[in-house]
Amino acid sequence: MNITQTLDAKGLACPMPIVRTKKAIDTINSGEVLEVLVTDKGALNDFTAWAKAGGHTILEQKEEAGVLYFYIQKA
Amino acid sequence: MSNKVAIIAANGGLFDAYKVFNIATAAAASEKEVEIFFTFEGLNLIHKQGMHALDMPAGKEHFAEGFAKAQVPTVPQLVEMAQELGVKFVACQMTMDVMGLTKEDFVDGIEVGGAVTFLEYAKDAAPTLTF
Repeated sequence: MNITQTLDAKGLACPMPIVRTKKAIDTINSGEVLEVLVTDKGALNDFTAWAKAGGHTILEQKEEAGVLYFYIQKA
Repeated sequence: MSNKVAIIAANGGLFDAYKVFNIATAAAASEKEVEIFFTFEGLNLIHKQGMHALDMPAGKEHFAEGFAKAQVPTVPQLVEMAQELGVKFVACQMTMDVMGLTKEDFVDGIEVGGAVTFLEYAKDAAPTLTF
């Protein structure tokens, strides 16, 4: 997977991870992949819903040492 | 499916500010068109000075620590972020008249309107939320 940009949103509380992700995805091109790191547990459901709203695809998500990783391909 | 979210902010405490702006910024970040109608105490949330010193509900002051620990943004930060994301703020003209407030008492970029302005916007919005 080719990662175009990484956003570190660790430690941020709702709604900041989503707001920062929205701003980051606006800076990449369609088809490119944004990697997002978050620790907010609410993000697990929020990112799925957010991606659906914008038509983006979550290619992969994983959790490592309390950090959630999302790989989002821009619509 | 509607792409509009309509919010009425009718209360002016710190908790109210988070309820309103968290939903508003989350919606705007999810490609929704968002408008907030600020009426009565809700006007505190966008008042230039007032928004910096919103009260916690009586007896809930101990939550201040939790807010700091959770790294929650401040209300002025949320206001700025909401505006950056294109959230439209409408202040209630009638309440402003009653309280002796003018447009200059509020953050820049707001509009002033009446109940009909909001109703017209909200008629095809889903959801419409009241805080």
